[in-house]
Amino acid sequence: MAGGKRLRVLEDISFEAGAGSFTSILGPSGCGKSTILNLIARLDRQSSGEISTAGDRIGFVFQQPRLLNWRTVADNVTLPLEQQNLDKTALRALAIKYLELVGLGGYENYYPLQLSGGMQQRVAIARALAIDPDILLMDEPFSGLDEITSRKLRQELLQIWEKTSKTILFVTHSIAESVFLSQQILIVSAKPARIFKRLTIDLPYPREYGDLRLFEIETQLTRDFLGMDAG
Amino acid sequence: MTTLPKVLSILSLFVAWIVLSLMFPPSIVPGPVAVFKAMAEDIADGNAFYHLYKTLLRVGLGLVLTMVLGVAIGTIMGLSRKGEVFLDSWVMVGLTVPAIVNTIICLLWFGLNDRAAIVAIGSAAFPAVSISIWQGIKGMDMQLVGMGQAFHLSRSAIIRKIIFPQLLPHILASMRYALGICWKICTTVELIGMSSGVGYQLNYWFGVFSMTKVFAWTLLFLLVMFAIEYLLFKPVESRLTRWRTGVPALQWAR
Repeated sequence: MAGGKRLRVLEDISFEAGAGSFTSILGPSGCGKSTILNLIARLDRQSSGEISTAGDRIGFVFQQPRLLNWRTVADNVTLPLEQQNLDKTALRALAIKYLELVGLGGYENYYPLQLSGGMQQRVAIARALAIDPDILLMDEPFSGLDEITSRKLRQELLQIWEKTSKTILFVTHSIAESVFLSQQILIVSAKPARIFKRLTIDLPYPREYGDLRLFEIETQLTRDFLGMDAG
Repeated sequence: MTTLPKVLSILSLFVAWIVLSLMFPPSIVPGPVAVFKAMAEDIADGNAFYHLYKTLLRVGLGLVLTMVLGVAIGTIMGLSRKGEVFLDSWVMVGLTVPAIVNTIICLLWFGLNDRAAIVAIGSAAFPAVSISIWQGIKGMDMQLVGMGQAFHLSRSAIIRKIIFPQLLPHILASMRYALGICWKICTTVELIGMSSGVGYQLNYWFGVFSMTKVFAWTLLFLLVMFAIEYLLFKPVESRLTRWRTGVPALQWAR
């Protein structure tokens, strides 16, 4: 609801993402992509339609790290786990395990403000993974970082995905990013958001920046986006 | 390294005192020797402890009342639009009315006793705390609350682990400021209507024109305040705000 009138944010959104798959939702800013994630995470309720997920543990990574600055890195990672009755040593062991997975081994006792933006985002990813989620929802997690850091983190994300076989749903406004990362891309138009096109990318991993095949796909997608506005 | 400027600063006050006491007669600026001697007398015969205890008791309970009222009202104002509008005038009145008025009214209502002092202190000092808490709640980072909800934290967990820690700096800061106000008001109440306490002592010695004793009690008062600040507030504060400063982790993780 906006200004008293009902706002149609999403229309006719329908898709499937198989277990262990990497799916991107690609679209311009403000088109409602985040709303799709919020609905899947049950943070919002859809006015019609069904959402079913293979389990209900959902890990969420936001555009900002959203860490609690007054807690250590380890305590940030275990925040969602504290409602389960685990003892301190178990919690700490989990924190260390997932911090090592994201490449922050040894940083357990640091505070978020002592870390760079990229490192803080890694902590956020560790936090989302620590609950052993059935689905990992990522809402433009790298768009707040510089390109060099983002490239590094994208490669590391793919490595983490390979190690953990998580189902990932990744929202982005970057054509290059979605092509580099995903097996399936859902291209979403502006409000009300509709799935404009579905694309499957069969290229094997690890993918390399500069791969001409990726570039071709990007070029085609760019044409599609420009065509979408005109049509 | 930060202790050297601090020591020099205190020393300079001391030196200024000595200089002034040499320039003026003892009835106007008594020197440190006379003042410390007068202080030692009162400590030796137990006077100092009794009156300090009475004052600390009133200030302590007055501070408790201040914080309870201040946090309650500030929280309501921060969370509810209607509450904000309604309580705004209470806070306004509380801020504008001079503490002396609270003092006189409470002494007349409750009599010349500790209860009057505590209520006078609490009612006069709470507005500053309310405003601080109110602003603290308004400035809350709601994105962190959203994160808590995304991870399905319970309501109580969000309040305890995400909301309260953000309010803590505001509570601490306003508590320190409130303590200063409480001391001052307590002294006023004691001056006017009590028969014990530091304010009472100041009034008594003023009555017999003993500047030395007035200085002695003021100094005693100051020393206790400094002790509370450096032995209580500063350590607690530095422990709770450890996460703010920090040497940045310079190297990359890999």
